[in-house]
Amino acid sequence: MANLIAQNIEMCFDDRQLFTIDRVQLSEGNTIYLQGDNGSGKTTLMKLLAGLLKPSRGTITAEGFAPLPWWRSNPLLGKAIYLHQHPYLFDGSVEYNLRYPHPFSDMTASDLNKRTLAAIEMAQLTHLCKQAASSLSGGERQRLAIARAWIMRPQLLMLDEPTSNMDKYSQQLVLTMISELQEFGTGMLISSHQACVLTSLCNQTWIIKNQTIISSAASVNPTHTGPINIQDSQYVIAN
Amino acid sequence: MNEGWLALLQQALNLLFSLDPEVWSIVSVSFSVSFAALVITLLPSMILGFVLAFGRFPGRWLITNLIQTLQSIPTVVIGLLVYLMLTRMGPLGDLKWLFTQKGMILGQMLICAPVLVAISQAAFTSVDRRAWETSRTLGASWLRSIWTLCRELKVPLLMAIVAGFSRILTEVGCSMMVGGNIADVTRNIPTAIALETSKGDFSQAIALGLVLLILSIVLNFTLGILRGKAEPRSH
Repeated sequence: MANLIAQNIEMCFDDRQLFTIDRVQLSEGNTIYLQGDNGSGKTTLMKLLAGLLKPSRGTITAEGFAPLPWWRSNPLLGKAIYLHQHPYLFDGSVEYNLRYPHPFSDMTASDLNKRTLAAIEMAQLTHLCKQAASSLSGGERQRLAIARAWIMRPQLLMLDEPTSNMDKYSQQLVLTMISELQEFGTGMLISSHQACVLTSLCNQTWIIKNQTIISSAASVNPTHTGPINIQDSQYVIAN
Repeated sequence: MNEGWLALLQQALNLLFSLDPEVWSIVSVSFSVSFAALVITLLPSMILGFVLAFGRFPGRWLITNLIQTLQSIPTVVIGLLVYLMLTRMGPLGDLKWLFTQKGMILGQMLICAPVLVAISQAAFTSVDRRAWETSRTLGASWLRSIWTLCRELKVPLLMAIVAGFSRILTEVGCSMMVGGNIADVTRNIPTAIALETSKGDFSQAIALGLVLLILSIVLNFTLGILRGKAEPRSH
């Protein structure tokens, strides 16, 4: 089982301490809701786990992943896919963006093509395939970024405020993709400053408070088993 | 007076369209030397621009400012430096590159590199950090991620190339000092224009000037088209 384990972490920016962590573990099969106020360090924690930032102190180790090629200097990069709150789309068409990560996957070309077509369908991007990614709306950009990650079938995925730009329809589409990944066993860390439809999938909660992380069982519908319909949802639709 | 100008222009066009061997030999020397200097300098300069934009190491500030300074050094001073290096008494005298195209290429490399480094550094500095992060988190190697950034920055990087190429194709000082303006060997467009003008043979000077003008129009309009297609990104 793939795990990312952060131990004795301290993260500072200049002289300001953002947070300290004794130990947290993101594992395959877990879906974790990361809570915290604005500026508490949710994004920083995700970037640390993704290998995009280095902690001021402490270690983050990756276990249970395929061995790295010799030329990979950072053992964390590419282990967990991190999705920005405002996703970056490369200059090119929607299809180009969806195919961008294909060369970095272990899947066969045929499987990747099948998953790409499925992702386009699930994210309802069929009519936008040839369109420039820069012309998409906020919600469409989020759907495209999540579809791009979905194609890769990652072992671990981190979503930073994934529903912040989405209407109910987009949230439902994203929920379908995320649920499918959860069934596959992808470990997920979902940050949100308020409960939303995706946080209902979580079975654990991490709360960043008073410059440290409290790990606890999810308080938001942790026993979710069946399909969720956004129309019946009791959760706040973010922004 | 106007008739004189028209006659000169007509003579210049005749020289170009009749494929005058002397004129086209000068054009050929100019392009082959400047193109070689650009090709040799391009990759190392872009890599240095990338390192200066993303790297954090002691001396970065000093190197950045040195490169900015080198951009504004007159080409004749660079020509003097290369001349002193290549002269028989100089440290590179054994190469016997003085008054050869190789010497001119060396001089033009020193003129081109600071322009390429400075503009590419500015381009890489302006790139959205999420482009790098997205590429890396999706599993791209650092080399592939650099290529992705170059693709995202294709317009400013092409502008750097055009600016660098324009500077070396049109410089006189270094080519004159290091090349020596030898016919069919080191005589390029700018040194030929200077020579022909001093001799009073304006038709050839105008013909060569037209070549530079046409090249300038083609390069800049191509860039303009590329820039026009690059829509403002909404991140």
